[in-house]
Amino acid sequence: MAEMVKLSVNGQEVEVEAGKNLIDAVGAVGIEIPHLCYHPALGADGNCRMCLVGIEDGRPPLVPACKTPAAEGMKVQLDAEHIKKIQHDVMELELINHPTDCPICDQAGECALQDYYQKYDGQESRMTVPQVQKSKKLDFGCGVIHDQERCILCARCVRFTRQITKTGELGIVNRTDDARVTTFPGRPLNNRYALNVVDLCPVGAMTSSDFRFKQRVWFLTRDKGICHGCSKGCNIFIDHHKEKYKDDIIYRYRPFVNEQVNGYFMCDEGRMTYKKENQDRLLVAKANNAESIISSAVDSLKNSISSSNKPVFLVSPNCSLEQMYAIKKLGEAKGATVSGFSDGYILEGDGDDFLIQDDKAANRAGLELLGVDTTKEAFESAMKEADLLVNFNNDLAKSYDAAALDELIGDCKFAMVATTQDALTEKAEIAIPAASYSEYSGSVINTDNILQMFNKAVVKNEPFDDIVNIVSRIGGDVNENSAAWAGMKASVPALKDVEPEQIPEQGLALNS
Amino acid sequence: MSDRSQLIETGTPFQFDAERDAEFERLVKRYPTRESMILPALWLTQEQEGWISAEAIGYIADRIGTFASKVFEVATFYTMYNLHPVGEYHICVCRTLSCYLLGKQQIVDYLYQELGIKPGDVSKDGKFSLEEVECLGHCGTAPVVQVNGEFHEDMDVEKMKALLATLK
Repeated sequence: MAEMVKLSVNGQEVEVEAGKNLIDAVGAVGIEIPHLCYHPALGADGNCRMCLVGIEDGRPPLVPACKTPAAEGMKVQLDAEHIKKIQHDVMELELINHPTDCPICDQAGECALQDYYQKYDGQESRMTVPQVQKSKKLDFGCGVIHDQERCILCARCVRFTRQITKTGELGIVNRTDDARVTTFPGRPLNNRYALNVVDLCPVGAMTSSDFRFKQRVWFLTRDKGICHGCSKGCNIFIDHHKEKYKDDIIYRYRPFVNEQVNGYFMCDEGRMTYKKENQDRLLVAKANNAESIISSAVDSLKNSISSSNKPVFLVSPNCSLEQMYAIKKLGEAKGATVSGFSDGYILEGDGDDFLIQDDKAANRAGLELLGVDTTKEAFESAMKEADLLVNFNNDLAKSYDAAALDELIGDCKFAMVATTQDALTEKAEIAIPAASYSEYSGSVINTDNILQMFNKAVVKNEPFDDIVNIVSRIGGDVNENSAAWAGMKASVPALKDVEPEQIPEQGLALNS
Repeated sequence: MSDRSQLIETGTPFQFDAERDAEFERLVKRYPTRESMILPALWLTQEQEGWISAEAIGYIADRIGTFASKVFEVATFYTMYNLHPVGEYHICVCRTLSCYLLGKQQIVDYLYQELGIKPGDVSKDGKFSLEEVECLGHCGTAPVVQVNGEFHEDMDVEKMKALLATLK
């Protein structure tokens, strides 16, 4: 536990963490100090002057809160007249050359300038000279589009590329009111985290070519989720919206702060995985190689399992812990070999030392914890004798090419419980559409053995069942997450003392 | 007031000649970090070529081992670095406060009238180029004009006229 100190803000006594800068320290108890350039992941730069506060102890009349550590007995002034004036004046300065194009700006609704204008400025422009014109729609690479006129030169993006990715593509060139953010000719943004600058930008200067003009942010519902793009399990905001007469779709992922897992950022590839939740989804069930209603496909699969002598259940390493457990229990009851073989999800050497992992599956640690075999040998030897393969959303095409897949499956009956329509569901005799991870609640264990829970975010017009429910419909005992947890707590030592309702927001580090 | 970020690309790779190369290696030992070489390396380039191209900035960044964006920032910040070819006589008129108040505009207007060039231009014969620059540090004797690095203080149109006569 960090050392706490008592200080007063506007005469009100608060207890905050010692040594933290004032913005974070008093921010933690719900008192906002306006700031534009400071960001907890990038540190204090002190260039925007928006966080100037007064401290009554004989220091200069104004000090930047971002560079002032909280100390015992400090008397911080936020509401004095001279502080209000400086906030007002800084806002006026920021807005001198800022275009008033909020109606067509993607940032509108989540823009620091807009919010601060309402709160601290609120006056009409007094400028009588033309605004400085700069370049717009600059393609910085990696899907980042820059508008130099909207930029307030807080340098968050510049600091991000220098401090975090250490690629340094961005810089602020020129001086005075001609200063602008740009790239060096021929050296555009070229790193796998570039889109974070869009989130970092407090105004609408950095926009994502993917999200631009797609949706106004105030229509978006922000639900928390876990990225299933790799085994890091970055915490995300799933920003989704259901337009009238249309289906609920996801517009973007944004990183959600979790110091224990991903910090403040996420990678670009992970960010784009939202598309898989919207597109190419398996929508129609199949039974006996023909389209059918879901219940017939379920019945057909149930019968196939009952009549099979040697079934093999293949689990995806992206399944939730609850789903894995349900499948495993069903496998045990039906005498099936349960495998989690998924070597194709691992891209050796693709990861880095920041967030991106080699393993492109969210819950391989879960497979291991539940004791599901993941070896190729075991899976292939089981397949040699199998007369039925039930594949629970495992993308076998990652592990086998088409010819090898044909050979593997041979004349074995092939059923899929899948989220995505692809060559595998084409090939399957039985296919049952399932909910994807934005549409169910569950838990996953990441590469650092941190157990994280996530909740259902997207509700489709015609929602598909969670794999847990599908497993129960084809004869499994486990019919919901709580039942899976009861079973797991009883059978998995590492989960014995875990209360699923009490897993902290930051995740729970499991003792391995 | 000018945007200096539109760098000129020559299309040919840049490198220091033997003399500047040796000078670079001599200077780099002076500083605790290689990044400190940004300013001297830009000077060496300007000495060698008379101006600094996009290729030269890239070369300096790679040679020092820093981001090209950083060298780009520095080169565009200081108006004494020429980012395009200049004339035989490069005239810099200070545009910062003291010089502004004491009549730099009359000098700039006169030069336009006399030589047909605006700040940022080079005369057709390549003899003169004009630039408005940031504070040259001689505010006490403003306005200040610099020709090929040499200071001329307490300037006015008459003195500029006399100065031009010696250059033509």
